[in-house]
Amino acid sequence: MLEPRLGHPNIGLGLGLRTVHYQHILQHEPKVDWFEIISENYMDTEGRPRYVLEQIAERYPIVMHGVSMSIGSTDPLDFDYLQKLKQLAATVGALWVSDHICWTGVASLNAHDLLPLPYNEATLKHTIERVRIVQDVLERSLVLENPSSYVTFADSTMSESEFVNRLAVETGCGLLLDVNNVYVSSVNHDFDPVEYLESMPHKNVVQFHLAGHTNLGTHCIDTHDGHVIDPVWELYRLAHRLTGGVSTLLEWDVKIPEFPVVHAEVLKAKQFIGAETESTESQKPGFLEKPGFSTAEDAAATITVPHPAAYVVAEAE
Amino acid sequence: MSETPRELGQIQQWMQAVIMHPDGVVVGIESAAAQTHIDVSVNDIEQIITRSQTQDSIERLQVYGNAYFARLVEVLRDEFPALQHAIGEEAFDGFAFGYLQAYPSRSYTLADLSRNFSQYLRETRPPSDAEESEPDWIEFLIELAALERTYSEVFSGPGPEGGDHLKPGELQAIPPERWADATLVPMPCLRLMQFGFPVHEYATAVRQAGDPHPPDPQETNLVIGRREFVVRRKAVSHVEFEMLSAIVDGLALGDAIERVLDRTDVEFETLAADIGEWFKTWAAAQFFRAVEVSEPDWENGR
Repeated sequence: MLEPRLGHPNIGLGLGLRTVHYQHILQHEPKVDWFEIISENYMDTEGRPRYVLEQIAERYPIVMHGVSMSIGSTDPLDFDYLQKLKQLAATVGALWVSDHICWTGVASLNAHDLLPLPYNEATLKHTIERVRIVQDVLERSLVLENPSSYVTFADSTMSESEFVNRLAVETGCGLLLDVNNVYVSSVNHDFDPVEYLESMPHKNVVQFHLAGHTNLGTHCIDTHDGHVIDPVWELYRLAHRLTGGVSTLLEWDVKIPEFPVVHAEVLKAKQFIGAETESTESQKPGFLEKPGFSTAEDAAATITVPHPAAYVVAEAE
Repeated sequence: MSETPRELGQIQQWMQAVIMHPDGVVVGIESAAAQTHIDVSVNDIEQIITRSQTQDSIERLQVYGNAYFARLVEVLRDEFPALQHAIGEEAFDGFAFGYLQAYPSRSYTLADLSRNFSQYLRETRPPSDAEESEPDWIEFLIELAALERTYSEVFSGPGPEGGDHLKPGELQAIPPERWADATLVPMPCLRLMQFGFPVHEYATAVRQAGDPHPPDPQETNLVIGRREFVVRRKAVSHVEFEMLSAIVDGLALGDAIERVLDRTDVEFETLAADIGEWFKTWAAAQFFRAVEVSEPDWENGR
């Protein structure tokens, strides 16, 4: 019988580690429960980011979150990449290693985007095989995140929630349930986010993600550039109740404010996990609200780019 | 659901061709690169991509198509602030857009994205004026790109922090009779670069939020290294540059001096007088990891 969170601990409320906050964290040692790193930003570097990471890893639990595994691609798995991932996880004592249910490129190219899969039996079989290989290489359960997506395929024969559910159950992988992504995709693909959360294999859920997104009126884009909106918090309340509570992380990747602002945002989660037994029923209409047009003008001024763009700028004289 | 399920690889190849097309997804769908994998017209796109209640299939694909170039151009803007300052945002984006088509990413890391950027600029530059002896404006831009790429590589690569580096006293401790056989081991991050413009000054001014004017041509010999995790650059004379080049090529100090005397018009006495000062500077800048002397009994006899 599966243990909750596949046996992983609930390590509380964490933040994505970003270079702009290095100095604050090292100087003030804020009371953050844990940090999540973008794996690719630390795998090949021997510069300051790696040095800072090793210091932070001595003081805080670290979890690794990647954007380049391309678990759903039909290109061969990159075993060199996997070995580097494994080595970094060992070096920093990562509690778990996650990536996304997506593909990032084929024919040896990399779009550096989290591209969606058609959800059908063939894709499921293909992805299951690759998850098993990755887990063998890493010698640990992989944790996979539901992506935000902007298209659906005519070749899909099952819902995303069914695909994610079966992938997790058949491989024993963990799930990083991104509550904001559930909301974004539910708006974009006209599904009920509550049903999605209710259908997950809750004991496989190891971690939650929270983030801000951009509402363009006709659709939402997962931009990680602002506060978590109320309907996402309400989904988080539900997800917490369904899972019994798992480690929760806030991502903020664009227009990143001062550290205390980001920290305060994740601490808001306490309001929702402390009162999770309050009726979520009364909040349900909020989940299903369609995006309004109030923010569209702002957002449409430039091309709105979905997460991720994980690049560390050099420090030079 | 289509009548005949398509292969996953077929869908991925098609989607990649569509969203990476420089003229947008509509042209991408009709392109040979996409049609090779799935022969579908724009009008029949719902056979592949379904519509939502608020967006049609093309609008949905455009989210990915628009993001592909925008995201990667943004990465290049971050990495090349001086080049962007020199040519302006619009022109920079144009170069970046062309580059991404010529050299799409083949790496899992964005740190590799710009690996060929300066080479691309050189490959696509208009011919220079053959009668003009000095490097032109375009050469300045190419050099800026090469410098900023090098900064990225030095920043991310192995550096002197936390390890041994050559101290001034270690050189002075070498007995005079063995000095000519000594070799200096460079730090892996040490780079020697020659430019036709003082690009380092321009790049530094931009990074310090200045608004520099493009400089006049000037032979510039740069030594680039890293200290305390920050990329450092130092302009040196032609002779000092030649000496460093010889050392980095693995020559013992005696042979390095001979090569410098051969290749430059410096007098031996002048060179000998300068070397002592250079060593102090190089040691302080942590250009070298260690000094090695070829005699097998050197370490024990020290």
